[in-house]
Amino acid sequence: MELFVQLLFTGVGIGAVYALVALGFVLIFRATSVVNFAQGEFSMVAAYLMVVFAVDLGLPYWVAFLISIAGMALLGAVFNLLVYYPLRNRGYLPVLISTIGASIFLSNSVLALYGPQPQVLPGWFDTPGFQVGPIYLDSQYLVILAVTLALVLFQYWLFEHTLLGKKLQATSQDKEMASLLGIPVALMIMFTFIYSAVLGGIAGILVAPVLFVSIQMGSNIALKAFAATIIGGFGDVAGAILGGFAIGIIETFGAAYISVPFKDAFAFIVLIVFLALKPQGIFGERVSEKA
Amino acid sequence: MRISRRSLNWGLAASLAAPSILRSARAEGETVKIGMVLPVTGPAADSGGYALAGAKIALDRVNKAGGVLGKQVELVTEDDQTTNPGAVLAFSKLAAQPDIVAFLGSIRSTQNHAMASDILKTGKPVCFGGTDPKLTKLGNPWLIRFRPNDSYSGRVIASYGVETLGKKHWAIVHSTDAFGTGGFNALSAALDKVGAKVALDQGYPNQSQDFTPVVLAIKSSGADVIGSYFTFDNDVAIFARQLRQLGVTLPWVGSPSIIDVGALKLAGPALYGTFGVADYAIDSSPAAKEFANLYAAISKVPPDNYSSWTYDAIGVLCDAMARAGSTDPDKVRAAMLATRGYKGAEGEYNFDEFGDGLHGYNIVRNEKGSVVFDKHIEFTD
Repeated sequence: MELFVQLLFTGVGIGAVYALVALGFVLIFRATSVVNFAQGEFSMVAAYLMVVFAVDLGLPYWVAFLISIAGMALLGAVFNLLVYYPLRNRGYLPVLISTIGASIFLSNSVLALYGPQPQVLPGWFDTPGFQVGPIYLDSQYLVILAVTLALVLFQYWLFEHTLLGKKLQATSQDKEMASLLGIPVALMIMFTFIYSAVLGGIAGILVAPVLFVSIQMGSNIALKAFAATIIGGFGDVAGAILGGFAIGIIETFGAAYISVPFKDAFAFIVLIVFLALKPQGIFGERVSEKA
Repeated sequence: MRISRRSLNWGLAASLAAPSILRSARAEGETVKIGMVLPVTGPAADSGGYALAGAKIALDRVNKAGGVLGKQVELVTEDDQTTNPGAVLAFSKLAAQPDIVAFLGSIRSTQNHAMASDILKTGKPVCFGGTDPKLTKLGNPWLIRFRPNDSYSGRVIASYGVETLGKKHWAIVHSTDAFGTGGFNALSAALDKVGAKVALDQGYPNQSQDFTPVVLAIKSSGADVIGSYFTFDNDVAIFARQLRQLGVTLPWVGSPSIIDVGALKLAGPALYGTFGVADYAIDSSPAAKEFANLYAAISKVPPDNYSSWTYDAIGVLCDAMARAGSTDPDKVRAAMLATRGYKGAEGEYNFDEFGDGLHGYNIVRNEKGSVVFDKHIEFTD
């Protein structure tokens, strides 16, 4: 039983990180109909910003966090202006390739600026964790769970109870109609990129004390988060969150009870099963039903 | 001026022949060029920087002493992107340059396996650092190793754990790549010979983000000691932290990655008190100390095996070219394999017929973050 609980805690913790990055994928997809393959790099850039401000410059952790998040908001805006906006009327593929290019640019820029050595970022708390009976609770995973929960609630409030949220939803559902209703579509898409960059950044900052800060940290997380969005139902917010947690739990339990060497394969086996049997994912609508 | 048919023909012939004459002249070269495959990008990019630093120190030393065959020695590098396809591409790019006389391959066995067929086709000596014992038994005469292979590391880990620490039940944690699998095979064979048992064979994929299932498997295995073959520093560090957090305090004897500079920095106190086999240890010999001093002049971090093997490889290679009196691949290879008693940073090089230069390992321990030399174990069989 203690083994089960310990694994569940770890699976839910790592799943929360996948969920946050998956949320970024989904929001941009809903707003632009494009998968942003640089979403993982947002996590990596934010983690390096934290290293610069919290470790190198020695600023208080929360100040470094706020500056890093502000930096991510700026990156999201610039990303929208340079990577998405100029190609927005050229169809799906050019924008997708543009995001892949941006992903390579971001990782190589950080490599050139900061060097290849992985870095250590301290956690939010000095205490690494708590022993509750036979179960060890890593304090950073507790922070990850708490922040993910808070962000999910914030997002619910934003989208369901604010005018901005309704404008964002309208933009994601039908850009032409939203534009006719006077909603500034370009501004809404800009806001979506900013929000997604911030979400990815928070995920990177949260997971950095556990996985360390390295150039490839974002791509490792993004691959699983991408699988999570498909399992949950591409374009569905609740699906992305559920898919993230599902991937985290499946890979942790699969590794413990079936095979550690095939740990990474479990997420993708589930992905293949979904693509074959339920390609619209858990919450996704069947395309024929939309017609 | 009137141009005769004869002078026109000469001119045409000269212009047609010029490129090949120039190519041939370049192949003769003003410098002796050595190609180097190393990770500049990807998860092992930091180790590529250390490898390059070690090679440059040796190169600087050779060139200050007059170079080789009256020429300065030059390094030409290509990024392997820390992947097998990247390594193959990098080696192909270097092999296409006819004026490169020899190469430094990878410290990663899996990449050397990937490049092996191209190395055979190229037919020039390739010094490498991968420790999978099979690499020098592939029937590829151009692969020449500059680190002790894992048949030695397995024997040293087993010998130290069983005879010095008195532990008989082993949990072996290893990556599932060529290095980790080769290391596991070598260690389990060595344990079998000394009468110890493998309580747990636990492979893991490189770049794992979580080792909780591995640690819990160790806890329930009944093992009294851990042996490990990790490929990447961040995997060592994540495993070490989770091991300690989940309350496992078993003694741990690991392959060289356990004392790599990157792993020590990332894991911090989680690696205190562990033991490692190390091909490079500062206090193991005067040559090792000398290398540490040279390295300290250009780097803030202490040297480790990433830099020491490239330092030795350049030294032995240049020494062999000087003794061969030529850069002819067959002559250079023969001179390298004839090397006896060369005192390098990693130890004394005595090559066997397979191309293995080193035949023993150092045992070191992590004392609050400092790597302390314990003893050297050399094998003659």
